[in-house]
Amino acid sequence: MTTTTARGDGDRADLPGAGHDGLGRGTAGGFAGAVASEWSKLWSVRTPYLCLVAGLAMTGVFTFYYASIARINEYPVQPVGNAAASSAVLVQFAVVVLAMVTVTSEYSTGSVRASLLWVPRRHLVHAAKALVAGAVAFVAGTACAVVGVAVAWGPFGGRASFEAGTAVGQVLAVGLYQALVAVLTVGVAFATRHPAGALSILATLLWGLPSVLLGLGGLTLAAVNDVLPHGAGDHFMRVGTDAPHAPATAALIVAAWATGAQLVGLYVLRRRDA
Amino acid sequence: MITLRGLTKRYGATHAVDDLTLDVRAGLVTGFLGPNGAGKSTTMRMILGLDHPTRGRALIAGRPYAALRRPLCAVGAMLDARAIHPARSGRAHLVAQARANGIPVRRVDEVLELVGLAKAARRPAGTYSLGMSGRLGVAGALLGDPPVLVLDEPVNGLDPDGVRWIRRLVRDRAAEGRTVFLSSHLMSEMQLTADHLVVIGRGRLLRDTSMRDFLAAASPASARASVPDPEERATLARRLMAAGGVSVETSESGELTVEGRSAAEIGDLAHHCGVRLHGLGDVRVSLEQAYMDLTARSVEYATGGTDTSAVRSTDTGTARAAGKGERR
Repeated sequence: MTTTTARGDGDRADLPGAGHDGLGRGTAGGFAGAVASEWSKLWSVRTPYLCLVAGLAMTGVFTFYYASIARINEYPVQPVGNAAASSAVLVQFAVVVLAMVTVTSEYSTGSVRASLLWVPRRHLVHAAKALVAGAVAFVAGTACAVVGVAVAWGPFGGRASFEAGTAVGQVLAVGLYQALVAVLTVGVAFATRHPAGALSILATLLWGLPSVLLGLGGLTLAAVNDVLPHGAGDHFMRVGTDAPHAPATAALIVAAWATGAQLVGLYVLRRRDA
Repeated sequence: MITLRGLTKRYGATHAVDDLTLDVRAGLVTGFLGPNGAGKSTTMRMILGLDHPTRGRALIAGRPYAALRRPLCAVGAMLDARAIHPARSGRAHLVAQARANGIPVRRVDEVLELVGLAKAARRPAGTYSLGMSGRLGVAGALLGDPPVLVLDEPVNGLDPDGVRWIRRLVRDRAAEGRTVFLSSHLMSEMQLTADHLVVIGRGRLLRDTSMRDFLAAASPASARASVPDPEERATLARRLMAAGGVSVETSESGELTVEGRSAAEIGDLAHHCGVRLHGLGDVRVSLEQAYMDLTARSVEYATGGTDTSAVRSTDTGTARAAGKGERR
């Protein structure tokens, strides 16, 4: 550090960093680096832990009541996984907050500039955030669904059926839905940059609009709801309802929403100054 | 080496940065000066790929920042030391930074030690003082051991010890052959730190010159002589003014302030005329004074103008003329 010899340009290759590989030779930068960085950032603040705890709590309460109501009202027997699938309408907001904060907190603190200095190719930052949030949401969604199935079994009191294949399928479907919600959220958050904006859009899209459409009733409005993210998601998470789409189609509809949000978010991120 | 070619940033009708062309050379500390709103930070953000230039290019070692494979190992930057997540610890921030470029995590502890932040490393960054945030920012800039450093106001909030530390740090880096480009509002500090100066006003390049030339251009030879005898004082003043381009002011306490002659020349003349002197010395203009004189005409908020046409003065005569004006 205290070297005081002046060096000419010809010696610059001797500089520790001049060769771009003096440090970290053989380890990943690029997309792998961006993902590793996002992963470190995510778990070094408290928000994701709180979101996971909130998600589990909501699952427990929701599925308990769902099953209890099914027993009390003597609903027809349904797959036990439906309790977990139905809880997604609420639990998705834990995922929304978790995914949104990874983006909006960087804009509110200005640390997004740091992120873009570390990974200047912006689509990599965008993709890394979507991947990390999506992966965490998949695992969290799956875990919540397992908990939901376990919690619901008792209170159903025989009003539910358990079939291993169906249950596993439903648990994974909930995980996939939450992963897609996380990806959708990252895109919306990059487009709006502010938590208030992102949250209003997502609350409207995932909860407000479906409530209004189904509340007003009618086939047309229900058909519209079927192509909204949660409406479509419900069709591939729940089993035994008369769904207008095949599960794969329903999943593709949600994926299309997520992709659309990604494209808008990426457009804003690339175009605007950080 | 940082290369700017016709770099321009426009926000609507305002030219934040207007056609900047310059090279920031390796092996020197280049100071970046300009009034608030002159476009310094915008320029630095464009160099670092955060803002998109309206026109022109900013290159580091011949490549745009976004094209660098491991940018942290090519350029160390510190822009806003406060722009960190307040709940994340300083160390976690640097670990995320290191991972982004495949830098080993042990290097994080090295730089934390280097900037004197090892003890506070696991505290949330929101609890840091401005000085500690500054040190964290410097740690981030040094993380990849880069050959180019871009530092925006690095001494902001640092105590005198920290200011000296930064000065030594950037001087050492430049001596190793690295490129150092830093902005600061502390002129006295800049005078001690920088070899070369880039001065902008209203987004336009006003000077790109060595510190020595900048000071020399801003201040014509000028000196003070203390002459106790009133008659001899008048003689000396008359003899000095006999030559053109010299102005002499006499104060009540018997001191002559001479512009256009150095102390050595006055001493020789006094000796020649047999004039007794009690004191004699060159008057050196400080960087602060030279800078104020140069930018006086281009300070955006002082003039209240919105057009950029006023900043056209790139001849040294303007600065010289301004230098003779009243000083507050």
